[in-house]
Amino acid sequence: MSEPSRHPKPASRHPKPDLATTTAAAASRTKSPAMSPRERNTTAPDRTIEVRSPAPVTGGALAANDLTKNYGDRPALAPLTLLVPIGQRVAVVGHNGSGKTTFIRMAAGLLDPSGGTVHVMGHASGTSQARSALAYLSDTPAFYDDLSLWEHLEYISRLHGVEEWDQIAADLLGHLGLYERADDLPNTFSRGLRQKAAVALAFVRPFDLLLVDEPFVGLDAAGRTALLELLDQAEEDGATLVVATHELGYVEKVSRLIALRDGEIVHDGDPTGTDVAALVAPPA
Amino acid sequence: MESAIGHDALGDLRRARRKNRLADLDWFEAAYRVYLVAFAFGGTALWASGFVKDSKVSGGTIADMFRHGPAIVGMTAVVALAAGLRSGSRGGPLAIEEADVRHVLLSPVDRRHALLRPAVQRARSAAFGGALVGALAGELAGRRLPGSVASWALVGAAVGANLAGLFIGGALVAHALRVPRWAATATGVVLLAWQGAAIAKHVVGPANLDGSFALWGMRQRGTDIAGPAFTLVLVVVGLMLLRRTSLDALARRSGLVAQLRFAVTMQDLRTVMLLRRALSQENTRSRPWIRIRRSGRSAVTWRRGWHSLLRFPASRLLRMSVLAVGAAASEVAAYKGTTAMFLVSGALLFLLGMESMEPLSQEIDQPDLMSSLPHERGDLLLRHTIAPMVALVPFAAIAVAAVGVIEKSAGAAAVAAVLALPTVWLGAGGAVVSIVKDAPDITSAAVEQTMLPPEMSGLTTIVRMLLPLVVSVIGSAGVLLVRSAHRAGSSELGAAIRLAVAQLILCALVGWWVRRRDQWRVKIKGIMAEGRDATAQQRATRAQSSRSTS
Repeated sequence: MSEPSRHPKPASRHPKPDLATTTAAAASRTKSPAMSPRERNTTAPDRTIEVRSPAPVTGGALAANDLTKNYGDRPALAPLTLLVPIGQRVAVVGHNGSGKTTFIRMAAGLLDPSGGTVHVMGHASGTSQARSALAYLSDTPAFYDDLSLWEHLEYISRLHGVEEWDQIAADLLGHLGLYERADDLPNTFSRGLRQKAAVALAFVRPFDLLLVDEPFVGLDAAGRTALLELLDQAEEDGATLVVATHELGYVEKVSRLIALRDGEIVHDGDPTGTDVAALVAPPA
Repeated sequence: MESAIGHDALGDLRRARRKNRLADLDWFEAAYRVYLVAFAFGGTALWASGFVKDSKVSGGTIADMFRHGPAIVGMTAVVALAAGLRSGSRGGPLAIEEADVRHVLLSPVDRRHALLRPAVQRARSAAFGGALVGALAGELAGRRLPGSVASWALVGAAVGANLAGLFIGGALVAHALRVPRWAATATGVVLLAWQGAAIAKHVVGPANLDGSFALWGMRQRGTDIAGPAFTLVLVVVGLMLLRRTSLDALARRSGLVAQLRFAVTMQDLRTVMLLRRALSQENTRSRPWIRIRRSGRSAVTWRRGWHSLLRFPASRLLRMSVLAVGAAASEVAAYKGTTAMFLVSGALLFLLGMESMEPLSQEIDQPDLMSSLPHERGDLLLRHTIAPMVALVPFAAIAVAAVGVIEKSAGAAAVAAVLALPTVWLGAGGAVVSIVKDAPDITSAAVEQTMLPPEMSGLTTIVRMLLPLVVSVIGSAGVLLVRSAHRAGSSELGAAIRLAVAQLILCALVGWWVRRRDQWRVKIKGIMAEGRDATAQQRATRAQSSRSTS
């Protein structure tokens, strides 16, 4: 166990973390026949791939085929087929109960689909290869009662095969303004600090695909800025980002907008010129 | 192919957590808890053993046991397996922390490796619990059956562990194979029917070998080993299939199990039952069996009660029926001489009452809402018991029918008809006491309870825990008076009528307690505050007089 006094200091006072090591670790592993983030950086990404396809889709960073979920008699997600190419930044929007969280959780492997399949970087969701490639940031963070934030960072990075994690963790905590709280139990944090801690846990390990559910809930202005910087950095490093959010402002930063209503896709494409507010309005 | 990545980290994580937990552990408190559990268990065992006569059973009875025992005891094995299949089809039997689901199981660590330890721990604790209960049952059996008490206790422990293994193994395999709920239920019903046929028609039942193994205290047959061997294979197969465990089920159960453990710690039976239902995904019907008119003029609490009761799912109604039949059968057994069975009947009636009192439980769960209403809380709580009490009438009828079927006598059915409803209501009265005592205390007297010395506090906790069951058991104990009347040659029906009146009076007393409880507590608190003020005043006067003297 690392003693608090032995924690590496953040690389600099500059709030921007050095994520190069994190994303380099992600890129250094070849997990699928699909393009790795680094490969993608050398090739112009095809951001205009048609999402709906009658044929099964398995490539890309995230591929869903006829994905459905029913809660009892009530369908939460209609058969949904889409392909998110590697390196794309996607926002998923919709009214409460539209199926955003259901979709994200099924893609993460935390929810069993009622039908259909999900593939992450070409691997079936839930397999070790898919888990290795995927990071999931939930709006309801879960922490161990008996581990400090620093211990969480240590074990989660090591569980993902990152042995040189100290500096990455210190940089992340410094960036998020949590460095001084490293030895505290995250379960005792306020809502906003818990969310920041969850952000640190999501970014401390390598990933090719980041699934995020309502990331801005509870974050203060500094926290939002820090998270947006992390997301920008991850995109620059070639990761694929899928973010379910009610923050319509975030839509400006993405290249693709998917809007769900009552479990069905009602919009999928470039957000430019789209009346997003109308898309997320609850059904009459 | 699963990778071996992170295995060291997982080991280190568990070691670090154990170290952190041990550092926080209050050893004295832990030892005190072990002492309390051992004391309670030992006390119960000694007390229960007092109900068993020490005289050995006759040769004829032993011959009957050899003939029917394997099938009858085998039924417990079938019940354990069926329950396991049901649990597995609903996401059981494992429950791990939510953080483990999110961080460990979503990492590329081999899931079988990650889940093996919690699964083995689950199997081990179930086997230990089963062995403990089995050993107690074996010890009691050994007093009357041929063979040493020690050997019966040993066999009982093995049988208990076997039953627990069947439950855990069945659940693990059903979960891993993603057996649909209907298939698990159908398999369970077929197995129960088959074993039932083995009891009634003497065909070979699926668990006769498990039942025969239970007789090893006086007869050892090598073939009986096949039963426990099957259990072992089932558990091993379940452990081998751990990689197929559903994260969906684990994520859903993790939060519920944490709440369940807390509720068990707090001895909050109502919440335990609520969470057990949530764990087994027993959801309230969105459409009631019968729709109540929207603009009814009847009392609002009455309508609220029926809105809840008419949404009970079929599985819950079936369980309540089984509880009623079980209580009736236990009462018959107590009447026929197995005195201790009135305790079983009382416990079953208590559970039946807990099931029926859903509207009251829901109100207790919303204390802020209730305190915002312009009504006396006690009055409101009492009114919420009326619809559930009426809803218990059909279950009392089921109990009467069960007695009629078991006894095949009009006289017994007549006595049952007189006693059933008051007994069921008093059983539910125990449930009402249990639910209402958990309501937030408007006088905040809990603070005063924490100021009690530990010995008194522990005693208070035990009384609080047992009092509801005692109320229910008082109701079920009535059958012993009818038995006494029968033995004394007086009219059983007359005794039953007198007893029913007494039971109804007790029900009314429970209702009175519910209605007046808050007022009594306010009064008691006032008296205690007056006492404290008087003591403080006396001390102040003494101090003043001593100062003036000096």
